[in-house]
Amino acid sequence: MRLAPRSRTVRSLAAAAIASALLISAPVSAQARTVSAATESPAPDTTLRIATSGFVDTFNPFISIYLAPTNVIRYVYESLVQNDAEDGSPTKGLADSWDVTDGGQTWTFTLQDGLEWSDGEPITSADVKYTYEQMMTVPALGTANGNLVSNFESIDAPDEKTVVINLKTPQAPNPGSEIPVVPKHIWEAVDDPTTFANDTDVVGSGPFVLESYAANQSIVLKANETFWRGAPKIDRIQYVYYTNSDAQVQALKAGDVDLVTGLTPTQFDALEGVDGITTHSGEGRRYHSISINVGQQTRDNVPYGTGSEALKDVEVRQALRLGTDTKTLLDKVLAGEGVQATSFIPSSFPKWHLSDEDDVIVGFDPEAAKAKLDDAGWVPGADGIREKDGARLTLRLLTDAEDVNEQSIADFFVPWMKDIGIEITVESTDSDTISAKAVSGDYDLYFSGWSVNPDPDYQLGINTCTNLPTATDGTGGTTQDGYCNPEFDEMYAEQRSEIDPEKRQEIVHDMLALNYEDTAQVATWYANSLEAYRSDRFTGFTLQPKETGIIANQAGYWGYLTVEPVEGATAGGTGTNTGLIIGGIVVGVVLIGGVVFFLIRRRNIADVE
Amino acid sequence: MSNAVPPSTSVIATSAAADEQPTGVGALRYLLVKLGGAAISMAMVILLGFFAFKILPGDPVASVARERGMSAEQAEQLREQLGLNKPLWQQFFDYLGNVFTGNFGTSYVYRTSVAELIGDYFWNTILLTGTAAIIAIALGLWLGQKAAWKHGSTFDKIASGTSLVFWSVPTFWLALLLLMVFGGTLHWFPTGGMVSPNPPTDPIGVVLDVVSHMVLPVVTMVAVVYAQYLMVMRSSLLEEMGADYLTTARAKGLREDLVRRRHAVPNALLPTVTLVFMHIGGLIAGAVTVETVFSWPGLGKLTFEAISGPDLPLLQGTFVVFSAIIIVMNLIADLIYRQLDPRVRRA
Repeated sequence: MRLAPRSRTVRSLAAAAIASALLISAPVSAQARTVSAATESPAPDTTLRIATSGFVDTFNPFISIYLAPTNVIRYVYESLVQNDAEDGSPTKGLADSWDVTDGGQTWTFTLQDGLEWSDGEPITSADVKYTYEQMMTVPALGTANGNLVSNFESIDAPDEKTVVINLKTPQAPNPGSEIPVVPKHIWEAVDDPTTFANDTDVVGSGPFVLESYAANQSIVLKANETFWRGAPKIDRIQYVYYTNSDAQVQALKAGDVDLVTGLTPTQFDALEGVDGITTHSGEGRRYHSISINVGQQTRDNVPYGTGSEALKDVEVRQALRLGTDTKTLLDKVLAGEGVQATSFIPSSFPKWHLSDEDDVIVGFDPEAAKAKLDDAGWVPGADGIREKDGARLTLRLLTDAEDVNEQSIADFFVPWMKDIGIEITVESTDSDTISAKAVSGDYDLYFSGWSVNPDPDYQLGINTCTNLPTATDGTGGTTQDGYCNPEFDEMYAEQRSEIDPEKRQEIVHDMLALNYEDTAQVATWYANSLEAYRSDRFTGFTLQPKETGIIANQAGYWGYLTVEPVEGATAGGTGTNTGLIIGGIVVGVVLIGGVVFFLIRRRNIADVE
Repeated sequence: MSNAVPPSTSVIATSAAADEQPTGVGALRYLLVKLGGAAISMAMVILLGFFAFKILPGDPVASVARERGMSAEQAEQLREQLGLNKPLWQQFFDYLGNVFTGNFGTSYVYRTSVAELIGDYFWNTILLTGTAAIIAIALGLWLGQKAAWKHGSTFDKIASGTSLVFWSVPTFWLALLLLMVFGGTLHWFPTGGMVSPNPPTDPIGVVLDVVSHMVLPVVTMVAVVYAQYLMVMRSSLLEEMGADYLTTARAKGLREDLVRRRHAVPNALLPTVTLVFMHIGGLIAGAVTVETVFSWPGLGKLTFEAISGPDLPLLQGTFVVFSAIIIVMNLIADLIYRQLDPRVRRA
């Protein structure tokens, strides 16, 4: 008898649980709808959601070095001079115009009228002066862009609209580009700018400002209404984290995100022709190459590393180039999604890129390769591999075991080399070992590549003798391929101070041609950047370069500045409602199941007793 | 009623009570031995946590600055910020000091305290793997005892067979398959993360949102691990099934399913307990794959990203935490097992 009230309690509990479970599923859809309707201006359809897996170190523009936050910072802080969408050349930023005097040693910038920070404060020359001087005087604030101000002697701000940069030596690359300018009135009040995370209530000057950041979950940017080019046409950009790139593709298909970048050709093909999705293959700003150990040495000409003696001979290196069919590599390994390379400046910067038409460019020509090797004194041995003074022409090629492309290239490269009499031994290892070996010069050949900026100065600079390492362990300098040619260095100095853009362009082409002939590397391709977006929801992305370029990862803020919602597009993520409903059902089933279980259990125990 | 307690237990309990004296000393020694073992393992883990990651090839600064085009001065600056300019022994003592204060230094990538990062992600992993563990254990044990009771039947064959199939399926593959079918194509469930990009604001909505994000990863984890609980429960119950006390229980006229539930199963649970605790540690460590596929912001995903960094302090941190969980779980398994099974106590 004592049992009765207890089981009544259980039964009423069960009834309540079932009732609430049923109730839960009903309001879910209603509630999901309110999310889209109730929030005032930022309806979800004006939020561009971008899938990302990028690391975020910090949104502090002085110290952030990873790609994802650096891209965000491009959208948040305008610089003095912006990289044009057309071809990356310098164009209006905070500065309306600039004058170069003293043969390139003094740059005077005039700011635009009526510029405002996103909090309404005026943008003045004091902000620019403050930003640059922080980088010049506080070493810790030079982590991100310190190399851009290393030639700065002093900064003057004679009036609110004028900034004068006095340089140590004349320079042609515009010193006002690529440096995000921060608001002095905010940063001055920060206790320690070197550790300031800068991820809440950010005040900026670009098309968007950072609204919120949840590590590994999302980054939200909102439109800056006071941006000088006019407010963007969407309200928000939201970066959503997906660790796995296949998951990103699924998220795009499901409509959970609107833009996915960095696709593999397979993923790209799978998305082609999918309803509501447009795929886009854009010319990237990265080159890929086979780097050749030309004989590593320090700045004081002390040789180091284990590079093959044979590769010190330019004719052998040229033979490697003649024997490599980059057209086939592009077509077979990269499924044609790219551009055949000439030098280390990609074709997406047509002004600086070494044209295919240039006199020095050679095609795939195994016979000419053999002739070069003959000239160099390497004669075929019994098994076809060439020999000289009792030494076999054997070279080591480092490949990253996890990089499918590198493995495939090797599959083509090895027989091609065998064909001209060079034996290649492939050493497959991990990327960290490769970078360690590359630094210490412990290789003959390895796959390399860099992302290049619109101004070629930096990339050219790391090919000069003055940037060779200082120590025999390969540290103390940054060198692209260990290349060193005094003639190249002379031209480098010349182009750096050549203010006339056309003359400078000519010198740069000559430098690339010289480097090409010296063959410190065989540039293979400029891979396209494979992107896909929900064209049923968004349209009007601006590419950089304008005709053939990319949407994400630009050297500028054009991509999302002009994007706009497609008229009449429905809010995405309807499936999230389905998810919620099913979530409700799951909770309901668990509750009901639990209650039923306990009811049965009670009855059974009652039976025993 | 007295027969609610299985007779076997009471019999053994009485005999154990008979040698009370040696048991007390034995218990203390047992505890000390197990604790000592755990402490030594932990010390090894901490040592290994430092040196294993120090002998890895590659320069952390070079990796962090990869393709960034840093000047030598900038790299030096970064080296100093990351504490890499100090001699190795000093780095080691810094690390030791850090570990004992529950700190693992500063992450190279996130530039925040590793302890804080792990703290943030820890509960997400516990939520996901905890749910999966409870469901997998309940499902495995329940199916296991049913299968054993009707061993040789069609039910037994189907239950054991399917569980083994799921067990041998690669986790990564199953997770991706579920993601593609139920996430990308049908879009019944979100494709990743723990909350929606624009999460609901009301409490019920928030709970449901998280639950809907949990469904696919939990299903994956359960599918892959429940077989081991099923198999152990099954074989352990099979061993009990010929025992005399079951005949006694039946002779008392008890219904068959009561004999099973109240007499056979409790005894067969003993070996399962150890297994469960040992596997909870493994399950948490195994979260790496599932969390990576479903972008679940937990320790597994954190570890995966620390590896791709590579972010050495963070890797050290997750390594030590994962190892500690496994060591503690094994210790608990040992202690509980002794508590539950008097035969261990007497030994």
